[in-house]
Amino acid sequence: MSGGYRQQPGGAGKVTRKDGKRVAGKQAFPPPGSGGSNPTMAPRDLDFIPEMVGGKEAQPAGAHVHDRARTGTSVGKPTALVDSNAKVTGQAWYGDDVRLANEVIGKILRSPHHYAKIKSIDTSKVEALPGVLAVATGADSPHQFGVLPVTKDEHAMAVEKVRHVGDLVACVAAVDEATAMEALNLFEVEYEVLEPVFDPKKGLEDADEPIHWRGKYHLARTNVQKRVFQEFGDRSLVETPLASSHGKWNMAGVHHGFTEPHAVVAHWDPNGRLQLYTPQQVPHYTHRALATVLDVPMHQINVIRTFVGGGFGGKSDPFPHEMCAAILARKSGRPVRITFDREEVYWINRGRHPSHIEVKMTADEEARISGFDIDALIDGGGFASFGHVTSYYNGVLATAPYELGSFHYTGARVWTNKPASGAMRGHGAVNTRCAVEVGLDEMSEQMKVDPIDLRLANLLPPHSRTISGFRITSNGMREALEKVREGSDWDSKFRQMPLGKGIGIGCGFFISGSGLPIHWDPNRFPHATVHMQVDMDGGVTVHTGAADIGQGSTTAVAQVVSEVLALPLEMIHVRSHESDTSPVDLGSYSSRVTFMNANAAIRAALEIREQLLNAAWEILGYHPNNLVLNDRRIYYKHDPAIGVSYLKALHKAQEDKGALIASGAYRSPPMGGVHKGAAAGLAPAYSFSAYVAEVDVDVETGMIKCTNVWAAHDCGKALNPLAVKGQIIGSCHMGLGQVLSEKMVYGRTGHLQNPNLLEYKIPSVHEMPHVEPIIIESCDPEGPFGAKEAGEGPLLPILPAVVNAVYDAIGIRLRDLPLTPDVVFKGIEKGMKAAGVDDPLDLTSPRVEHGALQPLLVKRAAEHKVRDRARQRSEDTDPYVNGVLFGFDPNLPLEDQVEGWRTATEPDPEQLAELGLAGKAWLKKEQRHMGGDE
Amino acid sequence: MLMPPFTLHHPTTVDEACELAAKLMAAGEGFDWVAGGTDLVPNYKWHINTKPHVISLAKIQGTDTISSNELGCMVRLADLTEENGVHSVVVQAASKVASSLVRTNATLGGNLCLDTRCFWYNQGEDWRRSIDWCHKADCGTGADCRVIPNQNTLCVATYQGDIAPTLMVLGASVHLIGPNGARTLPIDSFYQLDGMKKNVLEEGEFLLKITLPEDANKRIGSYQKLRVRDSWDFPEAGVAASWIEGDPTSLVVATTALESIPRTHPEEVASVLEAGWDGNASVKALSTAVQKSVKPVNNTALPPRYRRSMVRVLTKRAVQGLLE
Repeated sequence: MSGGYRQQPGGAGKVTRKDGKRVAGKQAFPPPGSGGSNPTMAPRDLDFIPEMVGGKEAQPAGAHVHDRARTGTSVGKPTALVDSNAKVTGQAWYGDDVRLANEVIGKILRSPHHYAKIKSIDTSKVEALPGVLAVATGADSPHQFGVLPVTKDEHAMAVEKVRHVGDLVACVAAVDEATAMEALNLFEVEYEVLEPVFDPKKGLEDADEPIHWRGKYHLARTNVQKRVFQEFGDRSLVETPLASSHGKWNMAGVHHGFTEPHAVVAHWDPNGRLQLYTPQQVPHYTHRALATVLDVPMHQINVIRTFVGGGFGGKSDPFPHEMCAAILARKSGRPVRITFDREEVYWINRGRHPSHIEVKMTADEEARISGFDIDALIDGGGFASFGHVTSYYNGVLATAPYELGSFHYTGARVWTNKPASGAMRGHGAVNTRCAVEVGLDEMSEQMKVDPIDLRLANLLPPHSRTISGFRITSNGMREALEKVREGSDWDSKFRQMPLGKGIGIGCGFFISGSGLPIHWDPNRFPHATVHMQVDMDGGVTVHTGAADIGQGSTTAVAQVVSEVLALPLEMIHVRSHESDTSPVDLGSYSSRVTFMNANAAIRAALEIREQLLNAAWEILGYHPNNLVLNDRRIYYKHDPAIGVSYLKALHKAQEDKGALIASGAYRSPPMGGVHKGAAAGLAPAYSFSAYVAEVDVDVETGMIKCTNVWAAHDCGKALNPLAVKGQIIGSCHMGLGQVLSEKMVYGRTGHLQNPNLLEYKIPSVHEMPHVEPIIIESCDPEGPFGAKEAGEGPLLPILPAVVNAVYDAIGIRLRDLPLTPDVVFKGIEKGMKAAGVDDPLDLTSPRVEHGALQPLLVKRAAEHKVRDRARQRSEDTDPYVNGVLFGFDPNLPLEDQVEGWRTATEPDPEQLAELGLAGKAWLKKEQRHMGGDE
Repeated sequence: MLMPPFTLHHPTTVDEACELAAKLMAAGEGFDWVAGGTDLVPNYKWHINTKPHVISLAKIQGTDTISSNELGCMVRLADLTEENGVHSVVVQAASKVASSLVRTNATLGGNLCLDTRCFWYNQGEDWRRSIDWCHKADCGTGADCRVIPNQNTLCVATYQGDIAPTLMVLGASVHLIGPNGARTLPIDSFYQLDGMKKNVLEEGEFLLKITLPEDANKRIGSYQKLRVRDSWDFPEAGVAASWIEGDPTSLVVATTALESIPRTHPEEVASVLEAGWDGNASVKALSTAVQKSVKPVNNTALPPRYRRSMVRVLTKRAVQGLLE
């Protein structure tokens, strides 16, 4: 056994001086003692080592490819986020905390008009004001940018036109804020006001002056930015339904409501390189956009991500104010800081799209879901942002977790003269999911069956394929439903509580990382790359571009490295702030970070691990297959006394090359269909969730109080259960805001009436229900240690759960979100009229008596449960595709089995007449087909 | 959000404050009073009707008296508790004002003199520029009212204080003081239309304290508040009621957050009492009558039609105690 180690390698030398004092750096520690604050090795924590590799951690969903890399160190243990000390002590540096020497303050001149041409901008008075150091306008930034390469429609400042109140017109840098504000009043801008469009329905019509012009791809002269048509399956199945639901929804736009307003500091360093500090979720896109806008190669720009005070999708676009700061800094030669007021945060927006959603659905005589027919008209505001993707997500993310007979979707996103909508937690999936889940509730009532049983009898199994071609791997939907049913005591509450008290169910399905990196071919460059370096001291420095936005991605990466190398978390140092040192990463959106970055980190850590084991082999003479890694020590499997400290093995490994380095990457496998738009919604894994919510409705006032939520989420494997629970509770909070009180109010003049945190009503802790987070672990084969996302998916089910609970409480279906008391009261008034009562207290709440289909569903669900378990554990590996429930053979193409089976991405001419609201966009032709604007 | 610069004055006596006010008035310099600052400071941050001088009442001696029949203007809302001998109806309302954080700083005087609110008005400067200003803060443009368009003579901003209606139903008096001397008047007549005028305070005058009549302690009652979030929202409608136990004829009802001023509803109460008190039926008649008498406009978070409908429910709940 080793006699300990020294802090520095080198000659033995004396460890004490003549005077008896100890010599620095030459002190022996008891084994393992290789770094870390605990001098003795912890015993192997068998509770956190999977049973498949000899530990005690139960694995009901089967083994995982990463099991052999488990050491019982970090994974699965509730862990405080590694950056929490910085945050709770106020030392975390957010965007506005950056202070550079000689910095000046930038302010932005914003449009007072909804829509106008800029005829002229006179900046002479601004420039003459003492203290003003730089002025910039659209003329300084002719290049367009945008988050998606296909829809670059933004400028740093307006060129030619302003598109909404608050759109950027010009900017100024001055010695202090007061001077900059004074300078804003000295701009002389001449506008020619144009006719604005606010109503997305009107955006479908031809306009004199469309908000943007896409040349030959422009759809007639409309304001339609993107239209989608998708149809799969056998539409004849919906012709004679047993039950059907038809709902028209009107959902207000909501904002992320993050705490930290946008802030940016730009500085051109003495070498002429741009250093840009910004709280970004996706620093890489900002990096790209800056290069385009500033005409500077990317390697001359260093994007420094500060701590991010909440993002939720609202800080994932490259922003014009980031460009403004860089332009002003270049012009003034001084660092420029721009910090937003709250109203500016609302004007840059990128929140959830205001949506008109229509969902028709049908069920057949066996209570199978024969068709979803979804139409989503979404209000994009003034710019494209992520809207191209949102247009797809509103439909395609409704194709699971249920097995469908057919699926029909029409979507359109239109430009309007409002702040731009974009990506927000649960991107594109939230509104449709709510509509779909409420429809299922309505159908179950018609069929006299329990809505949970209806769901349980129609779920896609693990390792299957959705109707649109998504590859489903692990699937914990069934377990989630069972857990919330049990936890909430559903069977003794549903349809049995007195008027005003209700309980409701909702499910969710979400991507765990977008399968397509939008700027490159996934087969040619990885989604995520992680670099790792271990030097003499034994600490592990991990370089990743994953942007920690509070969700704990840094902690997740540190945890998996700590797990693989069996090192305490304190020895893992994640560096993720600068693009100079971080490998390219797509950042924090589409719930990709844990899945992709942790996978990349595991790969890099495994490389280091191999080098360490080989060194230990050389020292100990035992093959790595017979060596165990545990808490800073490597030892012989059959005799732990024969071992070597981590540091000794490390130093051995370093003999010829110094610090160990490794690089790991993650690339999603080729998957999905080949139809147009097949990549939208495609992900290497999907999360599933089921929530039950309980509400109290004051029938006299329409006030809703959500009292209890049982929230089960399948995150594959909870790497950090504490963080997962936090995400579930946080998602509940955000979803409750959307369903109960939050909305961006556009008044009769089209102005955003509530751009502040008093009138934009985010629930406070006082309005929060008791949330019981339930973690479901389905062990995803491709996820890191089996993990999938937990950041966005948990938001989805809370909306329909609450809406369904309100129905259970008062018997009224409401389809206008948010359910503010006036909306509920209006519904109650209607309900009173229909019931012929004067007093709302005389209303009755719905009751259910199960019909003949109920036992059939229970039986089918029980059979499917057996099926799902066998598939989950890979005991049954037969192919399964959507359609098997309807009697189709999964081994043959469905087109060959059913005459009417369609996979269409454009409507047939005869369908045009019957398309929904958004579908009307298909009545128009693109300019290139009209002979215009080549 | 940078406030425009102003000079902050800290008089320590009432006389000093009045002298200061007189001096500034003589010099033609505009000024505002500030107590807790929870109303004024946000407005200043938004650059709404800012003045070059602000006189703080915080250091004036003797303005924080709390007793069962006298409350000084600097009494913090958090101190309006039953332990401090404050009437339970006032305590009910005070405990529902904003959030605990705000209540620690906000004062009774500030709450009573709260600026009226409107979503066309409580906005930042850029925002208000985008609507071409409004009548209440027209920045010298003579802009129209944005709630009731095509007129610039009436401001319909809404008074959203919680405590005033409770003091009204207890028959409180307000004591005002200024360079021209002191005066006392019933709180009913303290408020004055319209949304810009708000109350009878003359330039240089401020609200020094309120007093309650001896018999206020015999009264019991209730304050009902409508709002989206119980945690910290302004009232969207509020109804206060008080009565002497077992005596419906002593009933007084007041409403707030529905119009530019809070007010009592003596006619509606009288007409119900005239018909003779008849328990539930009277409550219903009264609730309907009060509902019909208020005319909210569309300038707060919830639509006026709904707020008006809720007056009936709030009134019913406020006087529920009379049926017990």
